Amino acid sequence: MAQEKKLRLSTAPHIHCKQSAQTIMLDVILALLPCAIIGVIYFGKNAARILVLTTLSAVFAEYFSQKVAQKPVRIRDLSAVVTGLILGLNLPPTAPWWLCVVGSVIAIVVVKQLFGGIGHNFMNPAMAARAILLTSWPVRMTSFVYPQLFSQGVDTVSFATPLQGGSATLFDLLIGNVPGCIGEVCKLAILLGAAYLLLRGVIRWYIPVCFVASYLLFARLFGADAIAGVLSGGLLFGAVFMATDYTTTPMTARGQMLFGAGCGFLVALIRSFGTYPEGVTYAILLMNVATPLIDKYVKVRMYGERGRAA
Amino acid sequence: MKKIKNAHEGKGPTREQPTRAYSPARVVIPVQLHLGAPSEPCVKAGERVRLGQVVATPMGGLGLPVHASVSGTVTAIEDRIQFGGLPVRCIVIENDGLDEWVELTPLGDVETVPAESIIPAIRDAGICGMGGATFPTHAKLTIPEGKHCDTVIVNGAECETHLTSDFRLMLEQPLRIVDGLRAVMRALGVERGVIAVEDNKPEAVAALMACAEGRAGVSVVVMPTKYPQGSEKQLIKAVTDREVPAFKLPIDVHTVVVNVATAAAIADAVTLGKPLVERITTVTGCVREPGNLLLRIGTLFQDAINACGGYSQQPGKIIAGGAMTGICAPDDQVSVGKGSGGILVMNVREAKTDQEQPCIRCARCAEVCPIGLDPFLIKYYCDHEDYDGAEEHHVMECMMCGCCAYICPSRRWLTTSFRTARQVISARRREEK
Amino acid sequence: MNKKSLRSVFLNGVLTENPTFRLVLGTCPTLAVTTSAKNGVGMGLAATFVLIGSNAVIALLRSLIPAKVRIPAYIVIICTFVTVVQMLMQAYVPELYESLGMFIPLIVVNCIILARAEAFASKNGVLLSMADGLGMGLGFTAAITLIGCIRELIGAGTVFGLPVMGPSYEPMMIMILAPGGFIVFGSLLGLANFITSYREEKRMLREEAEQ
Repeated sequence: MAQEKKLRLSTAPHIHCKQSAQTIMLDVILALLPCAIIGVIYFGKNAARILVLTTLSAVFAEYFSQKVAQKPVRIRDLSAVVTGLILGLNLPPTAPWWLCVVGSVIAIVVVKQLFGGIGHNFMNPAMAARAILLTSWPVRMTSFVYPQLFSQGVDTVSFATPLQGGSATLFDLLIGNVPGCIGEVCKLAILLGAAYLLLRGVIRWYIPVCFVASYLLFARLFGADAIAGVLSGGLLFGAVFMATDYTTTPMTARGQMLFGAGCGFLVALIRSFGTYPEGVTYAILLMNVATPLIDKYVKVRMYGERGRAA
Repeated sequence: MKKIKNAHEGKGPTREQPTRAYSPARVVIPVQLHLGAPSEPCVKAGERVRLGQVVATPMGGLGLPVHASVSGTVTAIEDRIQFGGLPVRCIVIENDGLDEWVELTPLGDVETVPAESIIPAIRDAGICGMGGATFPTHAKLTIPEGKHCDTVIVNGAECETHLTSDFRLMLEQPLRIVDGLRAVMRALGVERGVIAVEDNKPEAVAALMACAEGRAGVSVVVMPTKYPQGSEKQLIKAVTDREVPAFKLPIDVHTVVVNVATAAAIADAVTLGKPLVERITTVTGCVREPGNLLLRIGTLFQDAINACGGYSQQPGKIIAGGAMTGICAPDDQVSVGKGSGGILVMNVREAKTDQEQPCIRCARCAEVCPIGLDPFLIKYYCDHEDYDGAEEHHVMECMMCGCCAYICPSRRWLTTSFRTARQVISARRREEK
Repeated sequence: MNKKSLRSVFLNGVLTENPTFRLVLGTCPTLAVTTSAKNGVGMGLAATFVLIGSNAVIALLRSLIPAKVRIPAYIVIICTFVTVVQMLMQAYVPELYESLGMFIPLIVVNCIILARAEAFASKNGVLLSMADGLGMGLGFTAAITLIGCIRELIGAGTVFGLPVMGPSYEPMMIMILAPGGFIVFGSLLGLANFITSYREEKRMLREEAEQ
């Protein structure tokens, strides 16, 4: 028979789960959508423009840098879309167009592609880009306004965020009636995204839960208002979407718990004693850099090896 | 550790199919049906043989006799391509359809036969591990000096995808399995015998429990359904909570594990004196009538597939065993062996192999590894052909379950790379000796 | 050993063995003072002067200095020239002197200078050593001026203090802070490596074709 010649030979396993890098990224995008939609509703069309700009320029930056480096173009894995979207959600709603483009290009070209592309970056690209933008244009990056939805017509005046000394009730913090970045103000939307990611098995609870728990503990220890602190600034957004980036976080469950706890501790430390009112970005970046170390020392106990638990 | 929950996958079409006996017009019996030295043919072309007659005798070592699985005429003794693409000496027998048995000498009831006669009977019946490893069972049951055994486990987990042959056996002939277990327990002088079944087979559990009632020391244990529950090491952990240390055997933690089909074959060898000439095989995938067939050893895959209505689509891949650990057949002219629990036909689309994508360090591979290895790290060393590094990260302890490669969202060929690494490292070790 | 020409020794310092991009020496001033192009030029020329002078004197004294105490002896010679440069700059370019600050006395420990003394001046004649000093010095000057230009352009919108980016440009402050130094230096280093390996590859292809 002729058809037998065409039989494929390969080694086991012969089947594969349906998840791929692309479906995972798609899940993350879906989980980010509530934040994005609420952001656009709250802050108006400038917020929409920022999100579109960061996402598009991230994808273009990925495409061109891979072309230039003569590597296979992998924009179809959607990781650039996720990076761009997260960066956009981390910008203040007053950000000018060039800030978005520069941020995306830095995230993709400098932080991701120069270090070898997906899976090789040692820092979360969106986080690192935000840190660079924050250092470069501190005023632009902290020009926060109240959501237009709640206070029509005053969107040109900058206000202090609760962390910078502005006042807000817990309810305001929860629904997002506070000045802040596009994606991070509405905590309910973030929790919705977190629930989706957890249900889909895209992220595990270790990092977000340990992040928040450790912040609560240390903020109380340092004498800050811990509950309001969790609901302020980018803590929840960072814990759910940025501290859970696969590439820059430890591989083991216990390593991830340590990572989350470290992030929470650093945020509490920076907020209580640092010169920045907000410390999520730097906390996560510092723990990103510590990840190889954690991976080296925190291992899973191997089968048949009693007592190796490190 | 997260477990892969794919153990139900592909079992649907054949699960409710009762076993059908099928006897082909011709069998091709390789002289190497077990793990060990090939046997030497002791019949000539043209000779008439009876069902169960020895047609090849063992050549020392771990050898096992090979029996004719049909009665009829030997038409040829020739080399044929089998699994692995290498030619193996095969005995071709034309079936006369009479199923004329050789004279069988039953030993008697498993509870009364002399214990020391059981292991020789198992060897003479040509029984080897029917779960797929085909390791000669008499060798496994010969406890080395200085070690002892306190538990015999019969492996009814059948955690592989697509396969239902063990399930059908447990459901239809539970008594044979219990008898086989008792025979092994008596041969080893062990008080505790456990039949371990996953909880997705409640009917089988009920049937086994009914048969185990009143039998000394026999119990049925229900385990959660998860791949790779049926791997020896995982099974021992689940049943006895003991862990087999790296590079050690189950006997080092005082257990012996036999597959359910092997146990049934042992029962036949003892009570009826019957050699191992047939086994239940699941034929599924792209065949018109997927089902469980009671097949003669040496039946060609092509005949087995035709007995199930033939291909329903253009076949892309034919796998002996399940989808997680099965091996690919080079064509459908290979023979059903003693370890062939299933024949899985994949269509061209399913057979496609995905391109590797870069690792995104999602940690899923480390999460599912039943041994607790770091597959992503080992893969990194394998990709750089740094096999010393791979060895340092315990690639030799990998049991090739395929969990990491199954779960990897970047479709990396983890298990494939590890197999290569293990072959290279084993070759190096042999050279050093 | 084949005889070295002054020209080849000079070009070696500027291009083939550029201290900043090929030897990766003297990275401390490279990162620290390149916040503007002017600082880069000033630092580079000061280092060049010290290099030429110390190379010349060390080459002169190379047979007199005992091998065991050569490092302290080199340091003393280098210190002398650094002090000269420091005083000259304080007298004639006080503004630049102010902005470079601590980094002028730190030229003493700039490893380019010690490395050239050890690797070149202690084995070669006076003229050759001066050519090497000039080449290395100008190579260093060119490199850190380039880094300074880029950082100043992006980080302040000016080059040599002249505004070039237009009035609407909002400078990217990080570039004149420490991280900017690392980012620009790293990127240029990568580019230099890329060019070198590209040329190497082409040369090998050419040689293969010739054979």
